[in-house]
Amino acid sequence: MDANGGSMETSRQVRVRFATKLPPPLRVPTTSLAVPSNLSRMGLSEIVNHLLKNMDSGYQFQPFDFLVDGELVRMPLEQFLLAKGISAEKVLEIEYINAVAPRKQEDPCLHDDWVSAVDGSNPSFILTGCYDGLARIWKGGSVCTHILEGHSGAVTAASVINRKEESENSFYVATGSKDRSLRLWKFDAGEHVDHPLRIRAYKIFQEHTSSVQSISSAPSGDMVCSGSWDCSIKLWEVKESEAEGDSVSIKKRKLLSDAAEQESQLEGTATSTLVGHAQCVSSVVWPELQTIYSASWDHSIRQWDVQTGNETWNMVCGKALNCLDVGGESSALVVAGGSDPVLRIWDPRKPGTLAPIFQFSSHSSWITASKWHTRSWFHLLSASYDGKVMLWDLRTAWPLATIDSHKDKVLCADWWKDDSVISGGADSKLFICSGIQI
Amino acid sequence: MPAAMAKSLAASKKKADRVEQEEPEEPSENGFVREYGDQEEESERSDAVGSSEDERSSGEGEKDGKDDGKIHQSSEESDSSEDEVAPRNTIGEVPLEWYKDEEHIGYDITGKKIRKHARKDKIDSFLAGVDDSKNWRKIYDEYNDEEVELTREEIRIIRRLLKGRTPHAEVDPYAPYVDWFDWEDKGHPLSNAPEPKRRFIPSKWEQKKVVQYVRAIRKGLIKFDKPKEEPPFYLLWGDDSSVAENKRHGLSYIPAPKPKLAGHEESYNPSIEYIPTQEEINSYQLMFEEDRPKFIPRRYESLRSVPAYENALKEGFDRCLDLYLCPRTRKKRINIDPESLRPKLPSKKDLKPYPLTCYLEYRGHSGPVNSISIEVSGQWIASGSTDGMVRIWEVETGRCLRVWDIGEAVQHIAWNPLPELPILAVSAGHEVHLLNTGLGDAEEKMHIKELLHVEEVLTDDAGNSASAVSWVQHEKHDGITLKHLKTVSTVEWHRKGDYFTTVMPSGDSRAVLIHQLSKKHTANPIKKLRAPAVSAVFHPTRPFFFISTKKNVRVYDLSKNKLIKKLEPGLREVSSIAIHPGGDNVIVGSKEGKMCWFDMDLSSQPYKRLPAHPKDITNVAFHRSYPLFASCSDDCTAYVFHGMVYSDLNQNPLIVPLEILHGHTSSNGRGVLDCKFHPRQPWLFTAGADSVIKLYCH
Repeated sequence: MDANGGSMETSRQVRVRFATKLPPPLRVPTTSLAVPSNLSRMGLSEIVNHLLKNMDSGYQFQPFDFLVDGELVRMPLEQFLLAKGISAEKVLEIEYINAVAPRKQEDPCLHDDWVSAVDGSNPSFILTGCYDGLARIWKGGSVCTHILEGHSGAVTAASVINRKEESENSFYVATGSKDRSLRLWKFDAGEHVDHPLRIRAYKIFQEHTSSVQSISSAPSGDMVCSGSWDCSIKLWEVKESEAEGDSVSIKKRKLLSDAAEQESQLEGTATSTLVGHAQCVSSVVWPELQTIYSASWDHSIRQWDVQTGNETWNMVCGKALNCLDVGGESSALVVAGGSDPVLRIWDPRKPGTLAPIFQFSSHSSWITASKWHTRSWFHLLSASYDGKVMLWDLRTAWPLATIDSHKDKVLCADWWKDDSVISGGADSKLFICSGIQI
Repeated sequence: MPAAMAKSLAASKKKADRVEQEEPEEPSENGFVREYGDQEEESERSDAVGSSEDERSSGEGEKDGKDDGKIHQSSEESDSSEDEVAPRNTIGEVPLEWYKDEEHIGYDITGKKIRKHARKDKIDSFLAGVDDSKNWRKIYDEYNDEEVELTREEIRIIRRLLKGRTPHAEVDPYAPYVDWFDWEDKGHPLSNAPEPKRRFIPSKWEQKKVVQYVRAIRKGLIKFDKPKEEPPFYLLWGDDSSVAENKRHGLSYIPAPKPKLAGHEESYNPSIEYIPTQEEINSYQLMFEEDRPKFIPRRYESLRSVPAYENALKEGFDRCLDLYLCPRTRKKRINIDPESLRPKLPSKKDLKPYPLTCYLEYRGHSGPVNSISIEVSGQWIASGSTDGMVRIWEVETGRCLRVWDIGEAVQHIAWNPLPELPILAVSAGHEVHLLNTGLGDAEEKMHIKELLHVEEVLTDDAGNSASAVSWVQHEKHDGITLKHLKTVSTVEWHRKGDYFTTVMPSGDSRAVLIHQLSKKHTANPIKKLRAPAVSAVFHPTRPFFFISTKKNVRVYDLSKNKLIKKLEPGLREVSSIAIHPGGDNVIVGSKEGKMCWFDMDLSSQPYKRLPAHPKDITNVAFHRSYPLFASCSDDCTAYVFHGMVYSDLNQNPLIVPLEILHGHTSSNGRGVLDCKFHPRQPWLFTAGADSVIKLYCH
């Protein structure tokens, strides 16, 4: 009976033509094929792989993802066509792309305490912040070359400042901590080290009256903004001020944690303060030269004009927000996650609506990190307290991939080198999942 | 004609002559005077005239008296103007002869006799008649005992009567007859003939006919109530469910349920398509007995081969059982939609946000967590456990920041409400510790260090209170320890962060103490409590102080130091109390699992009693800004309610139960031990006996 039914089913076929934007070795002939309509993504992938194998015998099988009318196929083709109301009579144009999934799991970078901040904006190293008060530089994602010490509380935010510098390997980073301070660090990534080099901050910002929660550096690289539990956002100059003769603020500081330390460090003051949030500013993003986005526990997302310090746009979403990123289509979509398991994406260009344009709800706990892919308009990642990092594509409501390597809460996550996902969590490990083809 | 009559007639004749003399224009017809005179009141006059002039014999007087009585009766009926004057006579309607021999006639109002006027004798009257030309008009009224002078008008009437005319000149007794009836076109004349006699006597023939009928009825020849004819046919398939037709059966009629009419499948030889296949019959066996078809069609070649109904006996027996066991009575059922009985409450969706799901857990304690407290900004949460540990956690991540080992089971913990004073008050055993959390910036830390410093053991400066509590510097964790006499159950801060209160349930007169941190001073303002104190809370805005004892809640005014209110929850044992941030509403949780909401402005009785937990309520809490409140209980649940308090005083608070939060597990019979709201988010923290703290988010 089943066999009969099966034959009935297979007799239904759809004519498809495969197209792709991938480079030539992965292109299949554009002739149309008749494929059984009950094929799902896996079956389609198999067909494409076989076609490629026919063309090149040395070809290694690899998974593909399929797009029909700008939507990823996530169910049997027949069902998909029915759901989308696409006629099965015509030749179906299917575009295939590389499946987005981590292919390789690198060795985790071990920390002494919870990894609370990570920045992978520089392809040559990873910056992590840790609850033991130290920030670390991991060169190539494997070796810890520098330990940035000086914070007396847990480092909660870290950001690489993309400054154009005279020397190639000199980098600036900024970290924020629960000890209410921001520190700027400078290190030379070029020097070869056997042991992790301990370096100290060259500049300290102490004006926040409560824990610093988030840091973002300006695209130009000469400013840093920080959001804090004291409900304010402060902007700071990155410049090394001894050149400017900013001698007034130079003073000897005695650190409470380490009385022996007598090193002279610069103290900076905030150039401006953006006031408006009513609660902890949990996340700040500085995507363009003149605009800062901020998310707060007062359930709002605000956009600020850097020049005037005024709020230019705000939106209330009803949940306490933990993370925020701006990117996607023409770098205008806002993605935010907060005190519920739903990742929401808004389009601030749409006037008069507060409804998110996308909602992804596969997580089961608070979302702690959400980042757009730097190049792709469609891809983003999210990390959650349920211990999972998920990769998302705007073209489907299901996660593309779930990275389940963390044993505890994931506190931070970022893209690295365009093809890796780095995530740090409460299990004191930084996981690097690489080989993601986008 | 009697002699007296003749005499008076003669007198009146004389008088009439005199009248004629006076007024010669009036003709005198004496012959008629007597006949008309005794008919009307004028006759009285004429009588009176007669009597006043003539002396009478006693017999005459008697007759006249009788006459008078009769005349007076008639005069009463008349409407002449004279009668409107009240009679002066007080003797009433008795014959005047009763007073004939008396000096008086009747009595006046004071009871004195009214004397009769002296009668003029004949000479006097004669002389008077000679002297006064008008004396002939005067008449003596014997009844009222006075003389009456007739007016000219009255005399004129008398004259007319004497002449046999109508008394008044303007009345025309012979007016021409106006024939009002229209005689034209009338066929018959209106008969004026009287009714004939035969109309009034019963008919003989009719009587005979009646007798005939009566005899016929008696003989039974005539019958009434013809028996109704039963219709020979009746509608077999008719609808007998109509109640009206069956009314006459007396009992209220319940129509029997209609069976389905027989169809083709019930034929003895149905078509093939009605007969189930063997598979189908087998499948019936798999169904529930009640779902199985009652009748399975079968085929027989002829009606002869149809067997007897096999269930006949069984069904007959069942029917008998039904009749025996189920009396057919109509049950009066009230048809009420249960939904309509429910109070109209706003839907839960409109009342969002409220805590719903647990996303974060704070694990680390090794014993039941007795108490939690959240810092004002909502960044930190402190917890105290029976394992003697006090921990500070980061709310956002669940990271344990700091641990103090107190060494004794922590009963209660409270964070100073000032953001610049991150001090924890911890009650454990007989001691209350003030711990420096070290969370502030450098300047604040200095200030706190100063504040939390006691030079020497402060004793003996204020006898009573000092003996209750001593302030000692804590060596291990830089802080202050307040050593109490008895076990301290709760510690609560005043909103300004300087005062705090501790409760020792077994402390008798020193059960409730108020301490001042800046002066390191302890006061004992409330000495008299009837029942053991449970907890004490400061009013959020005014200088009031709430002490909940096991029986009631007492509200004190601290500025005047007197009891201003006593709230009576009527519960067995109060376990917890929380004050609405507005200050006018109080919720009280009890050991029997009930919760009471008090509106302080309304009365000292609960405004509402809220659904009961199956076990003891351990704590109740209000949210600082959202209209939420919660209760937690030993049944491992926390109930979340919407409690809207309106600024309009006429509107009662709106209370809607929202959610039951599960998640904790029971340990040693205890469930959730404490619940607190996040100060800024609609989140609820619960501390459980399973040593876990949970955060429920919206």
